[in-house]
Amino acid sequence: MPSNTPLLLVLAISIVIGFLMVIVFRYTSDQKAIGRAKDRLKAHLLAVRLFQDQLPVVMRAYGRILHGTGSYLRLAFTPLLIAILPITFLIVQLDRYFGWLPLQPAQAFLVEARVEDPAALNEASLQLPPELSSSAPAVHVPKDKEVVWRVVAERAGHYDIQIAASGQTVSKQVVVTPGLARVSPVRLKDHFWERLFTSGEPALADNSPVQSIAINYPPREISFAWMEWNWIVLFFVASLVAGFIFKSVLGIQV
Amino acid sequence: MKWPQLRRNRRSLLPILLLILALVLLFPQRGEAYAGPGAGFAVLSSFWTIFVAFLYSFYALVTWPVRQLLRLFRRRKAYGQAQVKRVVIVGFDGMDPELASRFMSEGKLPNLAKLRDSGTFRPLRTTFPAISPVAWSTFQTGVNPGKHNIYDFLARDLKNYLPFLSSAQISEPKRHLRIGKYSLPLGKPEIKGLRRGTPFWHWLGKAGVFCSVIRVPATFPPEKFPGVLLSGMCVPDLKGSQGTFCFCTTLASSDKFREGGVRIPVEQNGDGFHSYIPGPEDPLGTGSELRAEFKLRPDTKRGQARIEINSETFTIKVGEYSEWIPVKFKAGMGFTARGICRFYLKEISPEVEVYVTPVNIDPGRPDLPISHPVTYSIYLAKLFGPYATLGLAEDTWALNEEVLDDNAFLAQCYGNHEDRERMFFDALEKTPQGLCACVFDTTDRVQHMFWRYLDKDHPAVRDVPQDQKPRVIQDLYDRMDSLIGRVMQQIDDQTLLLVISDHGFKSFNRCMNLNAWLHQNGYLVLKDGKSESGDWFEDVDWSCTRAYTMGLNGLYMNVKGREREGIVEAGAEAEALKEDLRSKLDGLVDPASGKVGITGMFDCDAVYAGPYVDNAPDLIVGYGEGFRASWDSVMGKVTTAIFEDNLKAWSGDHCVDPRLVPGVLFSNRKIAIEKPAIVDVAPTVMKLFGLELPSYFDGKPWAVAAAGDK
Repeated sequence: MPSNTPLLLVLAISIVIGFLMVIVFRYTSDQKAIGRAKDRLKAHLLAVRLFQDQLPVVMRAYGRILHGTGSYLRLAFTPLLIAILPITFLIVQLDRYFGWLPLQPAQAFLVEARVEDPAALNEASLQLPPELSSSAPAVHVPKDKEVVWRVVAERAGHYDIQIAASGQTVSKQVVVTPGLARVSPVRLKDHFWERLFTSGEPALADNSPVQSIAINYPPREISFAWMEWNWIVLFFVASLVAGFIFKSVLGIQV
Repeated sequence: MKWPQLRRNRRSLLPILLLILALVLLFPQRGEAYAGPGAGFAVLSSFWTIFVAFLYSFYALVTWPVRQLLRLFRRRKAYGQAQVKRVVIVGFDGMDPELASRFMSEGKLPNLAKLRDSGTFRPLRTTFPAISPVAWSTFQTGVNPGKHNIYDFLARDLKNYLPFLSSAQISEPKRHLRIGKYSLPLGKPEIKGLRRGTPFWHWLGKAGVFCSVIRVPATFPPEKFPGVLLSGMCVPDLKGSQGTFCFCTTLASSDKFREGGVRIPVEQNGDGFHSYIPGPEDPLGTGSELRAEFKLRPDTKRGQARIEINSETFTIKVGEYSEWIPVKFKAGMGFTARGICRFYLKEISPEVEVYVTPVNIDPGRPDLPISHPVTYSIYLAKLFGPYATLGLAEDTWALNEEVLDDNAFLAQCYGNHEDRERMFFDALEKTPQGLCACVFDTTDRVQHMFWRYLDKDHPAVRDVPQDQKPRVIQDLYDRMDSLIGRVMQQIDDQTLLLVISDHGFKSFNRCMNLNAWLHQNGYLVLKDGKSESGDWFEDVDWSCTRAYTMGLNGLYMNVKGREREGIVEAGAEAEALKEDLRSKLDGLVDPASGKVGITGMFDCDAVYAGPYVDNAPDLIVGYGEGFRASWDSVMGKVTTAIFEDNLKAWSGDHCVDPRLVPGVLFSNRKIAIEKPAIVDVAPTVMKLFGLELPSYFDGKPWAVAAAGDK
């Protein structure tokens, strides 16, 4: 895979999302009211300048600026609220691909398992498929109820690793590939919202002795404009720029 | 759920959506760190507003001590000896003292009556002649027309006897770059104010008294001073005229409007129609007129039409006005002229007829400066939406030409008036100390056009029974009284309120073509074989002409060395001619009615004094009550008839003997003067703020009682 593929994909998605958001904004907002609110805000700003020697007038103008900002935000948040769910879930999904780098063959990584009962720490064992091997003895951290293994993958592939504790076995997906792939950095028990936003795997069983299993995938940085960007920041900036361009072209009040 | 339903249910959806947002934000994770460009827009825009506001606050805070010191230094004279905290001047152009008295005596106008009873009510002497730009120029400068150089709406060019606007001159940019067929203007049009003298708010501003001045006539182009000002009468439309409406119609006609409008054909195109609004000349020097095309799709069942112009689409019903619509006139090479106009749908079946107001300069993006500072017109547009900027925004010509009917004209007038009320009350709020002056010209326009219903003998409505004549002027005075009532609620006893008008009104029954009289009495000679002349003296033989008239009240001698083809020797010959004309015209009787058509002929040397007297008409014609210069005479046309009936809707006027049409002066304080004049207002206000009066002032300050004095 060419090294700039994630960049191009992020930019392309940003432009599409920027366009869609502007369209959503157009049809879910009261365009006239937004236009009026923005105009009034500008008027109060101009009032501060025009009547600068009239202190009570200036103070009233500040008050109206704050009130006007509130009104504008209220009008702008309605379409935002309508779009926030699909966009948030889209971002979560994209984050699986762009948020983390998959592991590379021969690259060592850590498997961290957290258990419910500290007594289970000593019994916890890691079972690996043949393509993966443990490169160091397990490290127990009783304070955090964690056990950590250092593992190396011999070749690319999607694998399941097994962790046995207190008579039960749970699995966790590991992705080893030089390309772009969907990865899940952690598998969790409970923690609905955390699972929604960070885990790409089913929840661990309620009676599982293991609370979570995490793989320390390295975070992805995207090179753009002589800077290293977290993809979300790049997406934010690029979609915002695209949105501003589209709203001007389409004559939409934002 | 369809979108409209969703929008209707937005209120009920909002709490649910807010709850979802709150839940998402309660669990801050990587995913919701970003909530889409919508949030970005909202946050960035709001943040930017607040950032700018607080940046300015910081600047204001840091510089406040210095500014305060400077202000105290400047204000030490003004407020140190001031007898008032604030002066509010409400100008009602053309409010008539006789009518006001009559209505008050009938128990109407309670607020003005209150001012009369507890303060002052007097007729206010006007200027020679009693014309708005002249009188309001005197109001603002405190001097007679000989010192401010405005004698009429029009002045004459001595080189060619053609008229030009007396208050301002707009000319092309001096430098152009020639590229092929285009002549690219390098710079903006040059606007030169022709009114001389200094408005009194400049003196006040220099002394640290803040002034808000709204739509006072003859303030275009706006001049720089420490305060805010929105120009009024004399602001042109986008074509550079004083208002050219457009009447788009499917009805073919070769008739041209006498003035003020153009007829544009509407062509059918499938189910719809298309037409255009004529705009300004191409700034690239191609000599063509720019146009804004529009499409119209009528819906006869609903009695409405959908109009599409540029990127705007809107629907209007028959008999209704649209909102202000932005219009773009595209020239080549990316040049665009922008304005605003309103559409009025007259008819969609069987003919399609649309009236379009003159294209006004867009106050939110003015192509010409119409306020000081430039941002003031923008501020008002942002606060209240687009508004009429044209000096003569009430389209009297469209009513005269019967393109608009009475109701459509009134709707236009009061629509504009409401905008101006909003601006005025904003200015009142923004000027807790200082001067707040605003002139409302609805009074003038409505009286001009509806006096016919007050005058039982007016030729324009002779056949309408008296009980069927609408009470338009009474309603007008009621509305103005109500406005004064609201002003009185907003002022304290430290505020002096002056309600003034520049002149009164009389009926305009009979037109008099003074050029015809001059022709028939041998003072004006036409070219061989001609018995009449076209506009602007087209067929006049200047080599034999001794006197002529143009504009509303001015009579000029054709003086050798002054006019290009002058023949009257300056000095004794000119004086003798002037006396001759005076004696023959003063008291001239209309043979048909037996009434005196001219009650006074005023020598410019007697009524004016100042450096610009040479530009004045040699004689000012004071028409008698019921008479006025004919429309043809105003435009330099010579007809065979001297007197004729005025059959137009324009049925009231004030361009008569100024002694017959004083304005009004109301005040909330007692003013000890028997015969106040409009020229006294400037010195009075300056004196109230404790300023020394310039020696060249012609007006005298009034003795205004202190608050609470009886």
